[in-house]
Amino acid sequence: MTSPSASSRKALSKIATNRLQKELMEWQVNPPAGFKHKVTDNLQRWVIEVNGAPGTLYSNETFQLQVDFPEHYPMEAPQVIFIPPAPLHPHIYSNGHICLDILYDSWSPAMTVSSVCISILSMLSSSSTKQRPNDDERYVKNCRNGRSPKETRWWFHDDKV
Amino acid sequence: MKGVNSAAMQAEQLKLDGNLCFMKNRFGAAIDAYTEAITLCPNVAIYWTNRALCHRKRNDWTRVEEDCRKAVQLDHNSVKGHYMLGLALMQRKKYAEGIKALERSLDLGRGANPRSYMVEEIWQELARAKYQEWEHDSTQRSWDLQNLKECCEIALVEKYSLDVTQMEGFTDEITDSASQQLQALNSVFSKASEPDTPKEIPDYLCCRITLDIFRDPVIAPSGFTYERAVILDHLNKVGMFDPITRQPLRPSQLVQNLAVKEAVQAFLETHGWAYRMD
Repeated sequence: MTSPSASSRKALSKIATNRLQKELMEWQVNPPAGFKHKVTDNLQRWVIEVNGAPGTLYSNETFQLQVDFPEHYPMEAPQVIFIPPAPLHPHIYSNGHICLDILYDSWSPAMTVSSVCISILSMLSSSSTKQRPNDDERYVKNCRNGRSPKETRWWFHDDKV
Repeated sequence: MKGVNSAAMQAEQLKLDGNLCFMKNRFGAAIDAYTEAITLCPNVAIYWTNRALCHRKRNDWTRVEEDCRKAVQLDHNSVKGHYMLGLALMQRKKYAEGIKALERSLDLGRGANPRSYMVEEIWQELARAKYQEWEHDSTQRSWDLQNLKECCEIALVEKYSLDVTQMEGFTDEITDSASQQLQALNSVFSKASEPDTPKEIPDYLCCRITLDIFRDPVIAPSGFTYERAVILDHLNKVGMFDPITRQPLRPSQLVQNLAVKEAVQAFLETHGWAYRMD
């Protein structure tokens, strides 16, 4: 059993702190389109506002992403979830967990918060139907003890939605 | 002969005693033990560097310097001797000499064992020293530039009033050209101060994983360059693939990227602020 803050319990390593400071600076100069970082003094948890892209099912909708960084970021992926209410999407569970391979098995340390955000927005934009994953109820029930999505054994849906 | 040997053995024993005291943070007692060892055998560099380390713990930098000078005189290849000598010189703000000593110890340390904790520590201190040197020099440079700029401005303004009194009539033209010259002067001086103004380090000198300036760049078969320690860590912990292209990648395929390394050196030479570490 792991609490939702599992990944934020251990302080960031020096490498992680250094890199996040650089990412934050870069974000401030050059934020990805459609995203807004909510300013806090907590480097280890970012809250990011996402605006659904115009001309997609989610245009004019706003969501919030919560990004928690592990001690050994970027050698480990950040934990990224939507703060409920999460967008209605076949790969997004009602508890905010996101089924997206780059957040888990396919993470690479060359990715950044900014590139992850862009991937999530493109996942939203390519959706043709607003619905929850088929196993939403079962999955969310399984997560009730506050399990992190990084503990989930993901079985990735295909790219088409 | 026997007498010499027993003195050496006694001195070795005193060193061990000193080391024991040092580990218990009893620096005064450790200094006494090393001093006795030095009295018996004054030509063993390690006794001097060990005593210097105690002085360092007590922030007694004058004595650190004395002991280290003796140590490097006895053993030109003493990593710790050059290292602590460098630190002591930096304390006295002898930037150029201090940096030289730290660089020497880094070279020697890398030669002995490139992966040792000492090498990392020396590197950090060297970077700090270079930053301090830059801070000191750039303050002086910007002060000099500012003075020079003010003098030039005054001279231009004086020339302008001289021209105006001499040439009645065409004052509009003179005014225009004077204000153009002042502007040009301004831009010349702001150009001159550019290298000393911290800005972003160019992306091509930064690792795509650390986002920081390269120290020991290695190139992968993909053509991408990474920081050696970090890419090795990635291959070890995340997986045997190139972080950007995701092609399979093994540690033996990584090759030192000398061109980038030289570019970093050249950049740091003229942009000392980039030595800053958080």
